[in-house]
Amino acid sequence: MGDGVVLADSAHPASDRRHPAARPRVAEAVVRALLVACGLFVVGTTAAMLLFLARTGLRGAVEVGTQLLTGDTWKPEAGVYGGLPLIAGTFASASGAVVLGAVPAVLAAVWLTEFSPASIRRGYRRVMEIASAIPSVVYGWLALVYLVPVMETLAHAIRGADAPVTGEGLAASAVLLAIMVAPTVLLLSLDALSRVPADLRDASSALGASTWQTAFRVSVPFAWRGLLVAVFFGFARAAGETMAVQMVIGGARRLPRDLLFSPTTTISAQIVMDMQEARPGTTQNDVLFSMALILLVVSVAVVLVTRMLGRRGAR
Amino acid sequence: MSDDKQPVHSVRRPGAGMEAALKSALGAGAMVLAVGYAATLVYLVVRGAAKVASFTTYATPTNGIDNEEIMRFAVAASIFGAAAWGLMALVRRVATHRGRWSGSLNRGSRVAVVGVASVCALLARNHLPRFLISLPSETTAGGGVGPEIFNTIYFAVLSTTITLPIGVGAAVYLARFARSARFVGVVRTALDTLASLPSIVYGLFGFLVFVVEMNAGYSLFAGAFVLALLNLPLVVGITEESLRAVPRELDEASLALGATSIQTTLRVTLPYAWPGILSALVLSVGRVFAESAPLIMTAGTTISRSNAYSLDPFRGGETLAVHLWYVNSAGLSPDRADVSAGTAAVLVVLVGLTNVLAARFARFGGAEGTRVRKATQ
Repeated sequence: MGDGVVLADSAHPASDRRHPAARPRVAEAVVRALLVACGLFVVGTTAAMLLFLARTGLRGAVEVGTQLLTGDTWKPEAGVYGGLPLIAGTFASASGAVVLGAVPAVLAAVWLTEFSPASIRRGYRRVMEIASAIPSVVYGWLALVYLVPVMETLAHAIRGADAPVTGEGLAASAVLLAIMVAPTVLLLSLDALSRVPADLRDASSALGASTWQTAFRVSVPFAWRGLLVAVFFGFARAAGETMAVQMVIGGARRLPRDLLFSPTTTISAQIVMDMQEARPGTTQNDVLFSMALILLVVSVAVVLVTRMLGRRGAR
Repeated sequence: MSDDKQPVHSVRRPGAGMEAALKSALGAGAMVLAVGYAATLVYLVVRGAAKVASFTTYATPTNGIDNEEIMRFAVAASIFGAAAWGLMALVRRVATHRGRWSGSLNRGSRVAVVGVASVCALLARNHLPRFLISLPSETTAGGGVGPEIFNTIYFAVLSTTITLPIGVGAAVYLARFARSARFVGVVRTALDTLASLPSIVYGLFGFLVFVVEMNAGYSLFAGAFVLALLNLPLVVGITEESLRAVPRELDEASLALGATSIQTTLRVTLPYAWPGILSALVLSVGRVFAESAPLIMTAGTTISRSNAYSLDPFRGGETLAVHLWYVNSAGLSPDRADVSAGTAAVLVVLVGLTNVLAARFARFGGAEGTRVRKATQ
């Protein structure tokens, strides 16, 4: 415990001051130990979480083998564990959400910081803050009631009146996820763009550039790491979303018959549905953890990479 | 870009018209986005309002569940309290404008708000909108969300009592007491990992630990613990930020007066950073309201009649968000469209309130905060 003083964290240079009167006492030692315990708790639970999941998930993966990644039918009650529909569904709907939701959100953020009248900015931000806090099930319910019928009409309009298509499917879930992630992506993009120094913009204007040129040749390139982080974050959130997607994707446990308008499923939706039937300790149960492990690896990878980008960008 | 022979301002740069057109297209798109979300929010509240705000003239019979009377009183008190407070804020604004508002009036108005709310609550507690106080129903029309509202709030309380000490402790450690750079790195990586996990993974973990390994069945405690974990990165992040925003002079003054570093932290740094911490906690409460997947796997999707309003944390129970999902994917009641609309409206109002509160608390913090203003007057 030394002499009861704070020291030597390079992140906090002010803390290496010593006060001769400060003597270590029992109470101090206890508080200090409690603080360290809080840190240990965070590390411990994270490790426990990863270990638990990895243990069960790997057990499932070993039992089932490679069909977990390549098999195209998911039928746990018959012992068929083809995970491809789940994985494909997750990635397809999340990618759709990025194209339909995250990209417009970034553009809207650019417009708001660069071109919009200053008077509307606060209100705009407030609306998006509340929209991003709306529970995802609420979006899911709205989509189930209003979006799915629209999609059904659209599907029949595109594929023909008696084509075997439904409103539920990848198209509906991609649109839903796009609506869900757009506010969050927009807010993160606004933060990234607000870090562009005013000097840069002024210098660009002084050189005779128009506001459009300043926006897309100065501000956006400066903030691109932050914008990328925002988009990736949107992807991770869309891929991990569960209940809302479960409500509109249809729940068919096979690859979609029709790319856009036919029921299929995602990893997280299937986990929630199957978890209620699978008895703990059975293969049926372990395999769900294997699927979760795939989701976990992907989202941890995405977020850690973007965080590294973000930290480097912040410097 | 400009032609030498002409004065700069009269030059029309090639492509300017194109840029203007693109700009307005972008603006139109952005406005459509914002108006769309705003309209959705308004629609959600208006659509559910009929369900939520229909007071009855005849008394609703009680179901004979423990604590039901208290629950009714609490719901009534918060409805009338909010109404009275809104009215008072209006009166205050008008009175201040006319220069007729004083400190004693201010205190009096607060007492009046509390008084009016409790009296109205006592009188009207049996005439509340049925939807807000009755039990959900699986197969028949007319189900309510009373227990769900209770569970949602109770979850917020439970998970905050776990998040608050651990989150603030870890943040204080990181911001003020960390010694080993390696351990700090490990903690930060752990937090980053936690922040990146999809919520379903938290649910699986909670299921594995509490339901399978401990064989405790679905319980509110398991759900609250999982939600607390989910919120840790957020709370630690914002708390650490507001701790680092505390002016160095304050800490140094305290240390110079002979206080130990722990005393300084407890009596100077934490109180100063408190509004920031509070806003982090309120944000995390908003996430508790919104989360559903982990709760389905740890706290279940049922409401038991016998202990719907019990404070026992080891019983199972669903929240509003879970109920909204359950009604639509497994419920059989004929009025589920109305029930969903009402549930969504209550949920949106709760989440909106937490957001407004968080913004308010965040404004109190830092060098412009009320605490500092008071101290320096």
